[in-house]
Amino acid sequence: MFSYSFMQNAFIAGTIVSIVAGIVGTFVVARNYAFLTHSLSEIGFAGAAFGLFAGWPALLGMMIATSGASIAIGALESGYTKRDNVTSAISALAIGLGILFLALGHTSTTAATGILFGSVLGISRDDLWLLVALAILVVAVLLVNYRSLRQLAFDETGIFLQNWRQKSVRYIFLVMIALSVSISSQLVGSLLIFVLVTLPAASARYYTTTVIKLMGLAIVLALFGTWAGLTLAYLTNLPTSFFIAIIEVIIYLISVWQFQKNA
Amino acid sequence: MSIIKTKDFGIRYGEKIVLSHANIDVPIGRFFAVLGENGAGKTSFVKALIGQNQQISGDLQVNAQRIGFVPQFREITRDYPLTVSEFVGLNYNQGWHLWTNSSEKEAIQDALKRMALLDIQNKRLGLASGGQKQRAFVAQALVQNPDLLILDESTASLDHEHKVQLLRIVKQLQETENLTILFITHELKLVSEFADGYLLFENGEATQGEASQLQSLTTRLTYSHFEDEVHHV
Repeated sequence: MFSYSFMQNAFIAGTIVSIVAGIVGTFVVARNYAFLTHSLSEIGFAGAAFGLFAGWPALLGMMIATSGASIAIGALESGYTKRDNVTSAISALAIGLGILFLALGHTSTTAATGILFGSVLGISRDDLWLLVALAILVVAVLLVNYRSLRQLAFDETGIFLQNWRQKSVRYIFLVMIALSVSISSQLVGSLLIFVLVTLPAASARYYTTTVIKLMGLAIVLALFGTWAGLTLAYLTNLPTSFFIAIIEVIIYLISVWQFQKNA
Repeated sequence: MSIIKTKDFGIRYGEKIVLSHANIDVPIGRFFAVLGENGAGKTSFVKALIGQNQQISGDLQVNAQRIGFVPQFREITRDYPLTVSEFVGLNYNQGWHLWTNSSEKEAIQDALKRMALLDIQNKRLGLASGGQKQRAFVAQALVQNPDLLILDESTASLDHEHKVQLLRIVKQLQETENLTILFITHELKLVSEFADGYLLFENGEATQGEASQLQSLTTRLTYSHFEDEVHHV
């Protein structure tokens, strides 16, 4: 299986994406940002469609759209507006625009399904370098802000003295989610962002009790799903995203069941 | 010596005057109940103490190095993953290291001990009882070793036994460590057993009194707006 360069690329990409998704996912789940993350992937779809329409790489369009939207959502969410409603409004607008750009750009169906469902087996070496660079950026920024981020995600109410650092960390976090959504959708597609960013961290919550262990287990679960999914896809010729989704959902259901049984 | 001293102190939001001409003097190491109807200016006053209220006038002196604040609402679901000790450590957010260093461990252990949480430090906070959760919230505020501790209705959601238990522990902190306590509450009768004095926010004014006067306040206020709150819980 590893004699094919496309499988090598897919495994490397899958590994990078799983590590980023596990780390980001830990904070996303803790802060109840699952819906926002999903919406960002829909916004990413619009960005990618615009990218293809404008003749840019889809990933670039996606990154610009998701980063812009995440900052907008961060600015609009406040004590007066409900975060989910703001997110719905922005993502509805984005999907509408995405459909428009797909039509205007006469984009091929293959490109469109690639964005929506992922195309991990079509990742090239050049894509890989870009992915590595983005992953390093996201992980470095998150780890440098680890302390503030930890408090923001796990106990925002406890932050009563908001200094500039804590205010800015909210936006930094949103942009990092946006970038990881863009990265992850290369693998599982924008429709299945939940699978890698949210589910492994949501499952890990039931087995671990410290932030570091939670991140570690989320990475392990994401890696397991990705590697197993790629192998099964290779053996059966069925879509990778399908297998990753099934594996992560099964792990999640088992974790909830075990927690409820023991708690 | 006073830890909080105001002279002709006022707070307003735009045109609305929340507090005016307040002359308050809270000595170090006392336990003060902060009383008043919802919207009477208790929270605005606390915000001013921690430097978050901009529209203030007059003189405000806060002689505390660090202030610990225990907020009123916190959503901790059953599947909240962190242990009690990890939760208490969240407030320790200096530096950027991923690990818990020795001085941090020490501070966390100390806060757990002060709130009688050592035996459940490895329990998941989501699965802890209401009383244990409240104690963990206070412990988190204690991690930074404050000299002024403000509690915002920390007993409101507890049953009588746990209300008394929490107040006893807080009272002990005050007595043994000379920690100043501001306890925002509607439960006048309960707090009157523990407080040395009170600040009452009413009709845009703040008045201050001794513990001995709390009893007469109880009869004056219990049958107006306080009664609901007491029986609600």
